[in-house]
Amino acid sequence: MSPLETIAEKLGTTEPWVEKGGAHWLPLGAMNVRELATAMNGLRARFVTITAYQLPKEEGFRLEYHWDLDGQLLGFTFLLAGNSIESIYDLCEAVDWIEREIHEGFGIDFTGREYEPLLLRKGDTPGVNLRDTVAAGKEKI
Amino acid sequence: MSYKIPMGPYHPALEEPYKLDLICEGETVCDAKLHIGFNFRGIEHLAETRNYFQVVALMERVCGICSNIHTLTLCQAMEGLTGLTPPPRAKYIRVIMAELERLHSHVLWAGIAAKLMGFKTMFMTCFEIREKIMDVLCAISGNRVNYAMNRIGGVNRDISDPQAILKMVEALELEMAHTVIPIFTTSRTAISRCANIGVLTNEKAVSCGVVGPTARAAGLPQDIRRAAPYAAYDEMEFDVPVQPAGDVTARLLVRALEIMESCKILRQALAKLPPGEINTGDDKFPFTTGTATSRVEAPRGEVMYSVSWKEGSRTPSRVHVRTPTFANMPAIRWMVMGARLADTPLIQASIDPCYSCTDR
Repeated sequence: MSPLETIAEKLGTTEPWVEKGGAHWLPLGAMNVRELATAMNGLRARFVTITAYQLPKEEGFRLEYHWDLDGQLLGFTFLLAGNSIESIYDLCEAVDWIEREIHEGFGIDFTGREYEPLLLRKGDTPGVNLRDTVAAGKEKI
Repeated sequence: MSYKIPMGPYHPALEEPYKLDLICEGETVCDAKLHIGFNFRGIEHLAETRNYFQVVALMERVCGICSNIHTLTLCQAMEGLTGLTPPPRAKYIRVIMAELERLHSHVLWAGIAAKLMGFKTMFMTCFEIREKIMDVLCAISGNRVNYAMNRIGGVNRDISDPQAILKMVEALELEMAHTVIPIFTTSRTAISRCANIGVLTNEKAVSCGVVGPTARAAGLPQDIRRAAPYAAYDEMEFDVPVQPAGDVTARLLVRALEIMESCKILRQALAKLPPGEINTGDDKFPFTTGTATSRVEAPRGEVMYSVSWKEGSRTPSRVHVRTPTFANMPAIRWMVMGARLADTPLIQASIDPCYSCTDR
């Protein structure tokens, strides 16, 4: 069994890994982000980053979580219909700044954590930089 | 009784603006809060308005010190979306530029660290050596910073006389081996200011997800050049220096040893530089819809780009940059806890922070 297959087994999924765009992607089915973070901790994978994408026509957001395991970049996608997802800060200290940055840049709420003062700029309204509806003054968060 | 000492955002000990609120009891730091964002330029957002030529020039300006690394990572990601493979000569030139950039960054850091130790003579020596590295970079690219070397499918400029560059590298290696490294590793001034100062334990380094020399100085043998080779690194022989102590001395030693490893890589790359084209010659690029990621080992650690594109578009729909300092800076809190107030500037500098990168 290859290391990636072992990971899939530990994550409890039978879906195959897809190697695409420089990373190995695994569809997670019903697994939530906290279960994933716990599993990654168990594998001693190194958290790399989260990339947020705003989907068109108010469809929500796509968050891509990345971990590194022995040089292999692992990718996991979560689709958000609204603008909140559970924080994994208490499970993975390394996500602190990127969760805060996404909160400020996209207005996504990582639930279950407190936010320090804003990372990127002064002010008290998250989401003015990248989230175009807020930037255009159409939406208040 | 504890009291708060704000350091920054503008302070003589900081090369760029950021703010550190130090909670102290007497001369001892009990806790610290970091505030960044003073250099925030919205570059990721701006990238979505730039075409595939302009975005390379834009991302080169994320950082003045490791500008080449940013275009290299971006171009590798865009090559993933276009299916282009750079010619072998271009891959070697990318390695040469990346290692020269690492050399000048590490020597620059050594100079700043020397200044913060109160070792002014060493500061001048380091900057004199750095000038020579800048001369090599200028001889290759025509620029001292923002070299404009990378493009989708290869590089923009050739190295016409590798032997001349090799001679410069050999002279640099000699100077570093005989001057910088012995002084940093044996001088009483350096040791007294750095040993057992600003310790980041191996356990904390893992939980903070630190990268680059900061991780390697805490006993973590991670290096993207070795773990996931890019460009022509799979054809280079080099060691990944690791030190277990996690203190400022360990970070200093790791960078000193990396200087020698960079020279070793440069000698190999210049000696084996293959003939042929330096780019694919394309000026129109068939981007496919999707996202591509790319990672490289910058002087401060792993840089990762996620680039998203829609077929037929001339502009990216998203460019996300995870810089090494963004991963390393939160660990400063743990390094300064328990330290003397006077040591905090050097501890902060020991991760070789780049605030422009961090803020983007």
